Amino acid sequence: MLEKIDETLLTLRNISFSYKMRKGDKLPVFDNLSLSIMFAEFVGIAGPSGCGKSTLLRIMAGLLKPDSGEVYFRGKPLHSPDPRISMVFQNPTLLPWYTVIKNVMLGLINEKELTDKEKEERARTFLDMMGLIGFENAYPAELSGGMKQRVAIARALVSHPDLLLMDEPFSNLDQLTAITLRRELENLWLNQILPISSIVLVSHDIEELVEICDKVIVLTARPSRIAGVVKIDLKRPRSRRSQEFYEYVDKIYTLLS
Amino acid sequence: MDPAILIVILSAVGYSWLRMLAALVISILFSIVIGITAAVSKSLEKIIIPILDILQSIPILGFFPIALYAFITLHPTIGPEMAAIFLIFTSQVWNISFGVYEAVRVIPAETLEVANFLRLSIFSRIRHLYIPASFPKIAANLPSSWANGLYFLVACEIITIGEAEYRLFGVGSLTAEFMASGMVLESIVALCFVLLFVVLMNLLVFIPMIRVSVKYRFETYATEIPHAWFERLVKPLTLPIKIITHKPRFSESWRLGVELHKFTNLIIRHRRIIEVLTVFAMVAILASMINIKDLINFSQIISNGFSRLGIVEPLTMLGYSLSRVFIATLITLGWTIPVSIILYEKKTLEKILLPIFQAVASFPATLLIPFIMDFTIKSGLMREFGALIIVLLGTMWYMLFSLRGALSVVPREEEELFKLLRISGLKKLWYLYLPRMTPSMITGCIVTIGGGWNTLVIAERTSLDHILWEVENPGIGKMMSIATTLGDIELLIATTIWMALFIVILNRLLWRRIYEIAIRRIV
Repeated sequence: MLEKIDETLLTLRNISFSYKMRKGDKLPVFDNLSLSIMFAEFVGIAGPSGCGKSTLLRIMAGLLKPDSGEVYFRGKPLHSPDPRISMVFQNPTLLPWYTVIKNVMLGLINEKELTDKEKEERARTFLDMMGLIGFENAYPAELSGGMKQRVAIARALVSHPDLLLMDEPFSNLDQLTAITLRRELENLWLNQILPISSIVLVSHDIEELVEICDKVIVLTARPSRIAGVVKIDLKRPRSRRSQEFYEYVDKIYTLLS
Repeated sequence: MDPAILIVILSAVGYSWLRMLAALVISILFSIVIGITAAVSKSLEKIIIPILDILQSIPILGFFPIALYAFITLHPTIGPEMAAIFLIFTSQVWNISFGVYEAVRVIPAETLEVANFLRLSIFSRIRHLYIPASFPKIAANLPSSWANGLYFLVACEIITIGEAEYRLFGVGSLTAEFMASGMVLESIVALCFVLLFVVLMNLLVFIPMIRVSVKYRFETYATEIPHAWFERLVKPLTLPIKIITHKPRFSESWRLGVELHKFTNLIIRHRRIIEVLTVFAMVAILASMINIKDLINFSQIISNGFSRLGIVEPLTMLGYSLSRVFIATLITLGWTIPVSIILYEKKTLEKILLPIFQAVASFPATLLIPFIMDFTIKSGLMREFGALIIVLLGTMWYMLFSLRGALSVVPREEEELFKLLRISGLKKLWYLYLPRMTPSMITGCIVTIGGGWNTLVIAERTSLDHILWEVENPGIGKMMSIATTLGDIELLIATTIWMALFIVILNRLLWRRIYEIAIRRIV
């Protein structure tokens, strides 16, 4: 990677990571991996299953420490989770004992300068943005899967992060719900309504990635290297039926196999 | 110390162990029959479960003298032995029964449908589905049942009713004898042997069974049982129990099952009638066992006891006893909440501490009673304090293990979410750990309080040989113990019924409701 660290939002440099197995065996996941996320970029990550996509996202979030190599966020080394990076998991991970609005307000729990009233106001704004007005006082158990994931996205956005990491956020939803949610998210991001600069999306749905990403990073099987980075130069909104769209999809599939 | 005494101690431990083993085998068989019946039959469930619930919440020791009378009239010499096994059985059986019941009830609907497709008869269902499905729950409950049994072992090896004293050879009676005759070294050696036997029992029998049983679970996610550091040392020795418990038992009973199929179909078709007949038969047998004269006598005894006790006195005693139990529960909560969180967060510390906790927890605290008495009297503390220690030692461990268990099922993504939001310390306790622990905490409180009532009978008043120990203030357990020593059966029955009623009402009106509210909010 040639980009200078302070010109990128997030940079991984020469990352190695392995899982420790029983009896001291090591399962290497990454060996000397480098990549960058630029400002105002929608990046997709694709790779064969089990190649460590989710692990990579957790290293970006500061949840996991690489065995060697550095992570830089806004030009500074990242050692632990940063308030300006937030994450949406595959499962919504809402706390079942709190209402929707309290779950979203959890994202502001460390904002000491905000009053409770302001926190609630801001949580409400994001619930509104995700189309959840009227459900503030519902409990997660009363919501459908798609609505729960909307709450999780609102919680990730409410603290105005710079970087949003998404770990297969649509894969547990039915196809129709997934498409609607993805379209809404894309529109919010394109219209710059979202407070974030960049999004990293892990997915195994290649067409989904080609449809919304500016570039797709393709990983190889374990231990993962970067098989290739595909820049998607297609005008938005992108049509899944166009010839170019399929050329991009094919290109990624070729890199994967 | 005379080496011959070592042999005496060893054989005493052996005798006690045989007693416990007999009770445990009966407990398992009883649980399989009762648990499966309750889980499979909707109408019998309505009868069995409330009865089990009452039986598990009433003090065992209160019924012991009554049972003893019954068994001695059955046979004068082996009667006390049977009574002892019966008492141990009543302290071991309920959690296993509930375990079997729950395990059979949560068998996934799909699995039951497969059994229907295969047209399995009721017998092959029991053999190939219900028993294997309840195996994990049975295995998981064995260590705590064993510890419970040990706790009451001491109480059933020596029983004095009025003039008559019944003494069974075993480690409980032996330790009491040693202490009474001032042989402190010998009693400590006996305690060490008990501890050794307990640890070996867990390592060689219970833990291997739990490990095998993990494969029988329906859950798709894997819950890891941490390997204790010393387990590796005894691994070769655990082979026999693994072979016994891990033998696939299919096919050979298959044909028999198919042949019985027609017959069982008949049973299933007329299930309702058969159930009604069974209940009717049970009532009839019970009725035939009691003749009218005995019944009048018995009701005379009960009404005499009640009129002698009055109302104010038992309520005062219950009040004092309840506050003892409450204080013990609060102390238990106070230390188990932080310790379970520390164990959960510091895995290396847990590897060292958990096996030690498990060994200490399964050690019968009742064997320590002579020492606790000695310590309390010599240091000039209130006897109430000693009583509290006895209650705590008998009841506090369940809470620790159940809270720790609740924390192991905290989803990994919730942990990651809290790390991302940088929520830690007290806030994490409040927002994540406490809610996640609440259901187990409430069940833990119910179990601790239930166990507390049981131990009160020993903690509030015990007479070992010539030492008499009793708390300064009134207490229902003290009253029961006095009634037993006096051989006053009227008073004993009335006190026991007062206590049992009080506990059942408390459970129904208070704990059950709190539990249901908590479950509704959290799941």
